[in-house]
Amino acid sequence: MMKGIKLGVPIFLIVFSGLFLISSLQLPKANMGNPNAPLYFPAGLSILMLLLSFVYLFQELKHVAEENKELRQLFSGRTPKLLVTTLGSGVIYALVFDQIGFLLSTILFLGGLLFFINGWKKWLINCIVAVSFSFLTWYAFSQLLGVSLP
Amino acid sequence: MKKFIKVLLTMSVIFITAACSGNASGNDGYPNKNIEMVAPASPGGGWDLTARSLEKVLTEQELVDENINVVNKPGGGGEVGWKYLKSKDSHSLAVNSSLVLTNNLLEQSELSYEEFTPIATLATEWQALAVPADSPYKTASEFLEATKEDPNSVKIGVGPGLGNDDHLSLVQAASEFGINPADLNFLVYEGGGDVVTALLGGHVDAVTTSLSEVKDQHIAGKLKILAVSSDEPVEDIEDVPTWQDEGVDMVFPHWRGVMGPPDMTEDEIAYWDSKLEEMIQTDQWQQVLENNDWEDFYKNSKETKAFLQEQHDLYQRLVNDSGLLDN
Amino acid sequence: MDVNSFMEGLSIAVQPVNIVWIIIGGFLGTIVGMLPGLGPATAVAVLIPMTFGMNPVSAIILMAAIYYGAMYGGSRSSILLNTPGDGSAIAATFDGYPMARKGMAGQALAISAVASFIGGLIAVVGFVFLAEPLATFALEFGPAEYFLLMLLTLSAIVSLSIGKMVKGFLAMTIGLALSTVGIDTQTGVYRFTLGSSHLSEGIDFLIVIIGVYAIGEVLYNLLSIDEQRNEKKKVGKVWFSKEQWRRSKWPILRSGPLGFIIGVLPGAGGSIASMISYTTERQLSKKSSEFGDGAVEGLAAPESANNSASVGAMIPLLTMGIPGSGTTAVMLGALIMLGLRPGPLLFDQQPETAWALINSMFIGNIALVIINILLVGVLVKVLDTPPKVLYPMIVVLAFIGTYTLSYTTFDFFFLLLFGVIGLFMKVLDFPIAPLVLALIVGSDMEQNFRMALSSSNGSFGIFFSSGVSIGLIALTLLSLLYPLIVHWMKRKVQNRPEDQMYRSS
Repeated sequence: MMKGIKLGVPIFLIVFSGLFLISSLQLPKANMGNPNAPLYFPAGLSILMLLLSFVYLFQELKHVAEENKELRQLFSGRTPKLLVTTLGSGVIYALVFDQIGFLLSTILFLGGLLFFINGWKKWLINCIVAVSFSFLTWYAFSQLLGVSLP
Repeated sequence: MKKFIKVLLTMSVIFITAACSGNASGNDGYPNKNIEMVAPASPGGGWDLTARSLEKVLTEQELVDENINVVNKPGGGGEVGWKYLKSKDSHSLAVNSSLVLTNNLLEQSELSYEEFTPIATLATEWQALAVPADSPYKTASEFLEATKEDPNSVKIGVGPGLGNDDHLSLVQAASEFGINPADLNFLVYEGGGDVVTALLGGHVDAVTTSLSEVKDQHIAGKLKILAVSSDEPVEDIEDVPTWQDEGVDMVFPHWRGVMGPPDMTEDEIAYWDSKLEEMIQTDQWQQVLENNDWEDFYKNSKETKAFLQEQHDLYQRLVNDSGLLDN
Repeated sequence: MDVNSFMEGLSIAVQPVNIVWIIIGGFLGTIVGMLPGLGPATAVAVLIPMTFGMNPVSAIILMAAIYYGAMYGGSRSSILLNTPGDGSAIAATFDGYPMARKGMAGQALAISAVASFIGGLIAVVGFVFLAEPLATFALEFGPAEYFLLMLLTLSAIVSLSIGKMVKGFLAMTIGLALSTVGIDTQTGVYRFTLGSSHLSEGIDFLIVIIGVYAIGEVLYNLLSIDEQRNEKKKVGKVWFSKEQWRRSKWPILRSGPLGFIIGVLPGAGGSIASMISYTTERQLSKKSSEFGDGAVEGLAAPESANNSASVGAMIPLLTMGIPGSGTTAVMLGALIMLGLRPGPLLFDQQPETAWALINSMFIGNIALVIINILLVGVLVKVLDTPPKVLYPMIVVLAFIGTYTLSYTTFDFFFLLLFGVIGLFMKVLDFPIAPLVLALIVGSDMEQNFRMALSSSNGSFGIFFSSGVSIGLIALTLLSLLYPLIVHWMKRKVQNRPEDQMYRSS
C-alpha cells in the first residue's frame, strides 16, 4: 500500500500534467491579437510540471523502501474510516445545506462528526457543543454580520 | 460501524422530513412573504451596492412592508445569480446590467434576457475616454484619427474584461468613426482602478472606463477626459464634450436595472411599477444617485422591455464588430 | 504636510464616538481575522450594511480598523492551529506554529502582536510624511515591473524549499496551473472551466487556503487523533523574553518599511509583503537554520510587514481613489455609497477626513496591541480544548468561511478536494506555501507578462527599461543565488542537510 502511494502520486502527477498539456494545446484560439496567446503559459507550465514529476518519480524510486510513519498511519487503525467519514459527511453536508437550511444541517454535521470522532460515550458534551456552536455561528454570521445563510 | 449507520439513518430521516415540510403556503395578496433581492456579485461590488440601496430606500421609505433580504450569488459575470433567480418565484428580484445581454451574445451563457420578466431600469453611468494630462491627443477626433492611422501604436487600457461596457463603448465609437474595432490594441487590467493607475503612470496611451473612475482625476488635472458617452454635457465637467459633439453619433449608457423570474403576473409587475416609480422620486433615492455619480434613467417595466430589445440589437452588432467572436 | 489639517484630523479621531468605532472595528477585525476564510475583505464587505447611515468619517475609520485588526488577528490561528485565515497570514505559520508546538504559544502570540504594532506605527509615520511621493512612485510600476515583482515573490518562495527543491517546484507549478483556470483576461478565452460558470472567474485562492490548511490540518491530525492526549499543553509565558526581543528587534524594524512600500503598490499587498520580508530575514540571519523550526524573528518579521502593508494600501485609496487590494476595493465601494469619494480631490477638499483616518490608525494600533495582548491569555485556552472536539469545530468554521466567499455549496466540494490534497502534501512532506502563493500571484504574473510584451510590441527590452525593473531583477537573482551559495558553502563545510523547513506546515 505504502509503495503504491509513494509511486502512485508521482505517476498521478505525470498523468495530470500530460492531460493538462493536452487540454492546454486544445484551448480555443483567441480572436484578438496572437491567437495562441492564452495557451503559451499553461502549455509551458505543464511541460515543466511533467519534467518535475518524472524527476520526482525517480527520486521516489530510490527511496521507495524508506519508512514513512505518517503514510503508515494513514492506513492503520480507524484512520481510514475516520477520513472517509469526515469527507463523506462533508459531501452530505454540501448536498443538504441549501435544502434544509444552515442551522439544522450544521447541527447534524457537527453532531455527526463529534459523535464519530469523540465517541458515543461523551454524548452529552457532543450534543451541547453541536447545538450551541451551530447556534452561535448562525447568530454571529446571520444576525450580527448580515450574511445571507439559507 | 453499526453506530455510524445508526447516525446516518437518523440523519437521513431528519433530512427527509425537513425537506418535505418546506414551503409554507400563504394568502393571495402580493407580496405575501419576504422579498429576496439577488445581487449576482460579492458584497461590496457594484451590483451588491445597487441591491442594498434598493433594499434600504424601499424599506426606510416604507414603500414595501415585507422584509427585503439581499442575497449574494456571485460568479460567472452574473450568471450564477440569474440562474438562481430563474429557479425562484415572484418574490425574488435581481439586479442586472448589460451583462445580462452580453453574456449570451458572447456565447458565455445560455441564459437569455428574454427568459426573465423586465421590471425596471433605474440608473445609468456614462462612459469616458481619458488620456494622460500631457497626451498628444487634444480631442477625441484626434485620438481616433491617430488610431485609424496605426491602430497598433495606440495602447488602450480597459478592465476588468473584454466585452464589458467600457470596452464596447469604444468599439461603438471606433466603428462609427470607420475603424475596425478588432484592430484596436487593448491592454486588459484587473479592474477599473488598475486602468486609471496605468494611465496616470503613462503605461497606456488612453483608457476607456466609467466616468466616475476618472471624473475627480480630470478635475484635479491629473488626466484629461476627451469624451463622455452621455447625450448632454455632464455636471461639474461641462468642458468635456460628448461623443456627439465630437461628431461621433453615439450615446452609450451604462445602465443598471431590476428584473424578476420568468412568468410574473401582470399584477405583480404592476405592483413593482408603482412602488419603484414612487421610490425614484424620494429624496433618499436621489441622494443614492448623487453619491454614486449615477444619473436617473428610470424606465418602467413596459419601457424596459422595449429598451432591452433595442439594447440587445445594439450589443449584438457591437459584439460582432468587436472581433471577440469568430465568424 | 499640513499641520492645521493634521491637528483637525486628530481632534476628529479622538472624539469618543470614533474611539469607540476604532475599538469595535479593531476587535471585530481581530476576531474575523482569526477565523479560517474570513479575511479583512469579507469582514468589511459583510459589515457594509452596518455603516449605512453612519457619518462617512466614522465609517472609514471603522473599516480601516477592521482591516488592520484582521492583520493582527490573522496570525492567531496560524500560530495556534496552523490554519491561516488569509494569504497574508501564511508566513506566520512557518515559525509561529513550530513555536506553539514547542510550548511557546504565549510568547509567539505576544511577539506577533508587538511586531504588528511596531510595523503599523512605522507605516502610519511613513503615511504622514511619504504619502505623496510614494503614490507617485507606485505609478512607475507598469506591467513589466509588476511581472518582475511577482517573479521576485515566486523566487523567494522557491528559495524556501531548498533541500526539497523538486517538491517545492512541483507545488509551485500546481499552484500556477490552478491560477490559469477561468477567463483569460487579455483575450476573454475560457480556460479549463469545464463548462462551469462557477469556475469562470477562477479558483478563489482563499478556498484553497482554507482547504489545504484548515481541512488539511484537521485530516492530518485525524491520523493520530487517538494518540493525542487531553493533557494540558504547555503554552508558556504570555510575554516574550529579553532574548526573543533582542532577536526580533531589527527584523521588525526592517520589515515595517519594506511591507509599507509593497503595500502601497496596487495589487501587491500583505501576502507578498510578508513573504518577501520572511525570506529577506532568513537570508540575513546568522541563524537561518532555525528558520522554520520556531525562530522568533521568522514570526516577528512577516507580522510587522503585513500590518504595515495594510496601512500602505490606504495610500493609493486616499490619494488617488484607487483600491490597492481587495479590501480597499470593498471600502471604496462602501465609502462612495456614503457620499465620500476618496481620490485626488480628497486632500484638497476634505483634508480633515483624510487626516482623521491617518490619526485614527495611530490610535487603532495602540488599541489593538492592547486588545491582542489581553487576548493572549484567552486564546491559548484554545489549545486546552480536547482535539476531538476542536477539530470538528474547525471543519464547520471552514465550511462557513467558504460559504461567505461565494454563497454557493459548489465550493464545498472544492474545499474537501483541497483538504485531501493538503493531507497528502503533509504526509508526503510537500511544502504547501509555494502552492498557495503561486496561486495568489500566478494570474497577475502571467497577465502582466503578456501585457508588458504587448505594450512593447513583443520586445523583451521592456523588462530592462526602467531602474525599478533592473532593481527587481537584481533582487530576484540575489534571492535565488544567495541561498544556493550559502547552502553550497555550508554543505562543503559540514555536509549536513540544512533545511527542516515546512516539516510541520
